[in-house]
Amino acid sequence: MLKFTIKRLLISVVILFFVMFIVYALMYSLPTSYMEKTARELSQKPGSLKSAQEWLAELNAQYGMDKGLIGGFLVWLKSAAVGNFGDSWQWTDSVTNVFHDCIWYSFALGLICFILEVVIAIPLGVLAAKKQYSITDYAVTVFALIGISMPTFFVATVYKLVLAVKLQDWFGLSKPVFDISGMQGRDYVNLSEVGKFFDVAKHFVLPALTLVTVSIGSLMRYTRTNMLEVLNADYIRTARAKGLSEKKVINYHAFRNTLIPIVTILGGSLPGLFSGALITETLFSIRGIGYRSFHSMVAGDIPFTMFYLSFIAILTLLGNLIADILYAVVDPRVRLN
Amino acid sequence: MAFEKKSFNEVLKQREMREKAEKAQMTDDHIALDDSQRVKVLSPGRLVFKRFIRNRLAIVGSCILIFMFAFSFLGPLFYPYGQTDRFYKYENQMSDYAGAQLRTEFTNYAYGGITMDEEVARRVNSAIIALSSGEEEFSVINVASGNYLVTAEDDENIFVVSNCTQEDIASFTDTVTIGSFTTIEGKITYNAGVSDLGPRFYEAAVVALQEKTYAFTFGGKDYELRDYNKVGGTIYEISDRSFNYTDEEQSAEFETVVLDAVEAGQSSLVYDGAAYLISSDSGSYSISRSQPDQVVVVSTTYVFNAYERGKSFSDAFKASALLAIAEGETFEDNGVTYHAVTGDYNPEIVAEDGTPVAQLSTFVVRGADGKDNFDIDFKEAVKEAVETMEQKGEKTTVLTYPLVKREVVFQTDENGDPVTDANGDPIEIVVNVFDESGNLVYEDTDITIKKLANDYDLTCPILSHLFDINSAPSRTHLFGTDSDGYDVLARMMYGGRISLMVGFVVVILETLLGTIMGGIAGYFGGWVDNLIMRLVDIFYCIPSMPILIIMGAFMDALKMDPYDRLIWMMAILGFLGWAGVARLVRGQILSLREQEFMVATEATGVRVRKRIFRHLVPNVMPQLIVTATAGLGGVIITESTLSFLGLGVKHPLATWGTMINSITQRNEDMIKYTYIWIPVGLLICLTVIAFNFVGDGLRDAFDPKMKK
Repeated sequence: MLKFTIKRLLISVVILFFVMFIVYALMYSLPTSYMEKTARELSQKPGSLKSAQEWLAELNAQYGMDKGLIGGFLVWLKSAAVGNFGDSWQWTDSVTNVFHDCIWYSFALGLICFILEVVIAIPLGVLAAKKQYSITDYAVTVFALIGISMPTFFVATVYKLVLAVKLQDWFGLSKPVFDISGMQGRDYVNLSEVGKFFDVAKHFVLPALTLVTVSIGSLMRYTRTNMLEVLNADYIRTARAKGLSEKKVINYHAFRNTLIPIVTILGGSLPGLFSGALITETLFSIRGIGYRSFHSMVAGDIPFTMFYLSFIAILTLLGNLIADILYAVVDPRVRLN
Repeated sequence: MAFEKKSFNEVLKQREMREKAEKAQMTDDHIALDDSQRVKVLSPGRLVFKRFIRNRLAIVGSCILIFMFAFSFLGPLFYPYGQTDRFYKYENQMSDYAGAQLRTEFTNYAYGGITMDEEVARRVNSAIIALSSGEEEFSVINVASGNYLVTAEDDENIFVVSNCTQEDIASFTDTVTIGSFTTIEGKITYNAGVSDLGPRFYEAAVVALQEKTYAFTFGGKDYELRDYNKVGGTIYEISDRSFNYTDEEQSAEFETVVLDAVEAGQSSLVYDGAAYLISSDSGSYSISRSQPDQVVVVSTTYVFNAYERGKSFSDAFKASALLAIAEGETFEDNGVTYHAVTGDYNPEIVAEDGTPVAQLSTFVVRGADGKDNFDIDFKEAVKEAVETMEQKGEKTTVLTYPLVKREVVFQTDENGDPVTDANGDPIEIVVNVFDESGNLVYEDTDITIKKLANDYDLTCPILSHLFDINSAPSRTHLFGTDSDGYDVLARMMYGGRISLMVGFVVVILETLLGTIMGGIAGYFGGWVDNLIMRLVDIFYCIPSMPILIIMGAFMDALKMDPYDRLIWMMAILGFLGWAGVARLVRGQILSLREQEFMVATEATGVRVRKRIFRHLVPNVMPQLIVTATAGLGGVIITESTLSFLGLGVKHPLATWGTMINSITQRNEDMIKYTYIWIPVGLLICLTVIAFNFVGDGLRDAFDPKMKK
C-alpha cells in the first residue's frame, strides 16, 4: 500500500513536470503583449531613464523570459518549487496573496455544491434504480440528462432572469430577491457581522444552484447504474431468497455495495473543491479563484495563470491518487500492485 | 454461388419447395416447436438496431437530431435570409432636428474685393473684441501693408473695417515730470527720456526751493516744484497745452474734446464725424486723423434669415446690406435696389416693392445638417420659446409646432410600378404627405429644446431609416432580429451548422487520434504502451478549459480571421480530447489481444497493421461509437461556452454561443430581449440532450447486459 502510494506519487511528480512544461511552453509562445504594454507604460512615466526596449529587456530578465524556453521554465520551476510564484500582473499583488484572498470563496462554493449534490443525487439515483422503468426512473433519468446537457452559461442566465428579476415582478417585491451578480449587497458596509455573513451567503445562492443543476446529473446516473448492477448481482437474489425484507435488501446489501464506486469517485473529487468554478464564478462575479484566473488568462497575466494551471494539475493528480487509494481501502477485494 | 450450375430440374425443385413452404405458413398447422422458421435469426447489426428502436428516449433523441440536421443544413437552403443579411426599418426616433444659438462670434464679410492678409485679419478680430467690450468707438491698426480703421457702428452688432490714411493734424505738450532733486545729493535725477539741462537748471531749481516760490523759468519754459520738502522736490515742466497744427487750425471745441479725451485716458475719439487717434510720448501728444478710404470688411454677429425658405445670400450682398443697415441707406445688389429698415426687433432688408427679403438676427436656428432650411416663423417661435425658457430659468422646454408630415411608401417609377432592389424586394422611401389639393400636410410635433453650454438643441421624433435591431418576433422574422439587425432564425440555422460541424469534426479527430494511439499502445504493450500511457496521463492532467481560454485570448490578440479561428479551435479541441479515447481503446485491445481469433491472425501471418486496424479496432467500434456520440454533446457545450465567453467563433459567423453572448452581455438587454436568447439556449440544450439520449440508447443496444 505504502509502496503503491509512493510509486504513484513519484509518477505524479513526473507527469506534473511535463504538464507544467507544456503549459509553460504555451504561455511562453504567447505574444507577450502584457510585457510590452507594461514596458511602454513604464517608459512613458515621468522620470523614466530607459526606453521601452530597455524596460522590456529588464522585465523579460526579471521573469526569466530571456533565457529561452527551457531556461525560462527552469527559472520558473526553481522559484515555484519554494512557493514563490511571483507577482500577479493583473491583480498587482503577489500570486500567493491573491490565492489566499480568493481560494476560500471557491472552496465554500465548492463545498456547498458537493454536499447538495451528494444529498440529492444519491437518494434519487437509488430510487430510480429501485423502480427501474417506472415513471420515477424516467423522470430521474431525463432530469439528470437535462442537467448534463445544459451549458453552464445558459443555466446561469436563466436563473438570473427568473430568480433575480422575474421573481421580484411576480410577487411585487420592492427589492430583488437575489442580485444578478456580485458578492455583496449595496448596504454591505452598514451591516453587522452576522448580516454580512448572510448577505454574502445570499449572493452564493444563485451560483450554487447553477453548479448543482449542471453537475448533479452525472452523479445521479452513476449511482443509478451502479445500483442496477448491484441489484442484478447474485447475492441480492440470495438475500431475497432468504426472505429478507425489501427494505433490508436495499439498504444493507445493495446500497452498501453501491457505495464502493461512489465513495471512490467522491473521494477523488474532493481536491476539486478547491479548483473553483471558472465559468460560474466569472458569470456571477464571485471573486473566487475561477473568476480571478479567468481574468488573468484573458489579460495574459502569466504568473497567475501558471500558478493556477499548476494548481489545477496538482488537484487533478491528487484526485486520481485519492480515488485509487480509496478504491483499495473501501473494497478489500482489490489488490494494489 | 457462381460456380454452381443450375439445371432445369433443380430450378423446378426449388420452386416446389417454396410453394410448399408458403402453404405451410398459410395453414399454420404443421409448425413444430423446433421448426427453424419460428426462430427469426437477426444479424448482430439488426439486433442492435432493434434494441435501439425499442428505447423510447433514444427514438426521441434521434428525432430531435434529425430535426436539428434538417434545420441547420437544409433550413438555410429554403430560408430567404442569410446569416449576415441586415434588416432596416423606418421608425420615429428622437433625433436632432435643429440647433439654435445666440451668436456672439463675429463673421467677416468681404466688401469691395480688397483682401486682408492674415495678420491684419487677426488684429482686426482682436480689435473688434476689444471694441465690443469697451467704450471706444474705433481703433486703428497699423501694419506694414497699411492702416486699417475699425469702426463700431451705432448698431452694436456691426463693425466696419476700412483701410485708411493716417494724417497728423496737431500736437501739444502736456505738463511733464522732468526729474527730482535733493540738495543733499546736489544734482537732479532726470526721468528717462529727459535730457540733462545743465547745472544752471539745478541752481534755478534750488533758488526756487529756497525762496519758496516753487516756480521758475528756465530757457523760456515754466517749471514748477511739487511734492517738495526742505531739501528737495520734483520738477515739472508746465505747459499751456497749446496746439500746434500742421495744417489747418481746428476750433477751440475740438481742443477741449481732445483734452477731455486725454484726461479720460482715451486713445481715440470721434469728432464731427471723423476719427482721431491720440498717441502720447512722454508728455507730448500728437493727434492724427484717420481718413477712411474704402470699406474692406464688414464684421457682424448678425445672421441673415431669409423670408424665402432656403434662400441664401452672397457675401457681397450681406456686406452691402450690413453697411446699409449701419447707415440706414439703400443698396444695390445685382442691379436690384433694397432698403434697410428697422424692423420690430431686428433690422430687416426690404425689396423696393416693400416685400421683406431678410431679417437680421443674432439668434441663429439651423437644421441638424447645418443648413438653413427653416422659415422665419419657425425661427421666431423657437426664439420666443427659448426666451421664455431662459426667463423661467429652465434647462429644457417643449415647443409644439406644426411640421411637415412624412410617411414611408414604396418607391415607384414614372409608370407607378414599384421599384425593386437587387433581391426583388420593394424599396421603401420617406416622402412628404400632401392632401387632395396638393398642399403639404402639417402635423403638430413636440420639439424638445434643451439648453447646452452655449447653444440650444432641438430634438423631435423624426421618421428615420434604422437598423431593425432586437425586434420582437413577427411574421417576417419568426424569432425577431438580433442586436445587429440580423434575422435570429437564419442565424440559428447557420449557428447550428457550425455547432454540429465543430462537434463532428472534433469528435472524429479525437477518436482517430485516440484509436491510433490506444491501438498501438494496447497491441504492442511494453515500453510503447508505457510511453503512450504516460502521455495520456499528461494530457488527462492538462486543464482543457483554461488552455482553450488562453488560446482564445491569444487568437484575439492575433486578430485572426473567423474561419481560420474556427479551424484552429477544432484542432485544439480535438488535440486535447484524444486521451480518453486512447485509454478506452487500449483497455479493450488488451483483453481482445489474448483471444483466440488474434492467435488465429498471428498464425495465418496477417500483417501487424491489418491485425490492429482490421481485427482489433472493429471490435472496439461499439464502445467507440457510444463514447463518440456522448462526447458530441460535450464538445458542443464546450464550443458554445467558449463562444459565449467571446473566445470561440467570432462575429460575423453565427454560433449559438455568440448569439446568446451578444444579447446577455448587458443585463437590461438580457431581461428585455428574452425572445432572442432563450430559444437559442433551448436549441443548444435540445441538441445536447438528443446526443445524450442517442448515446445512452446506443450503449444499451450494444451492451444489453446493463439493461436487465
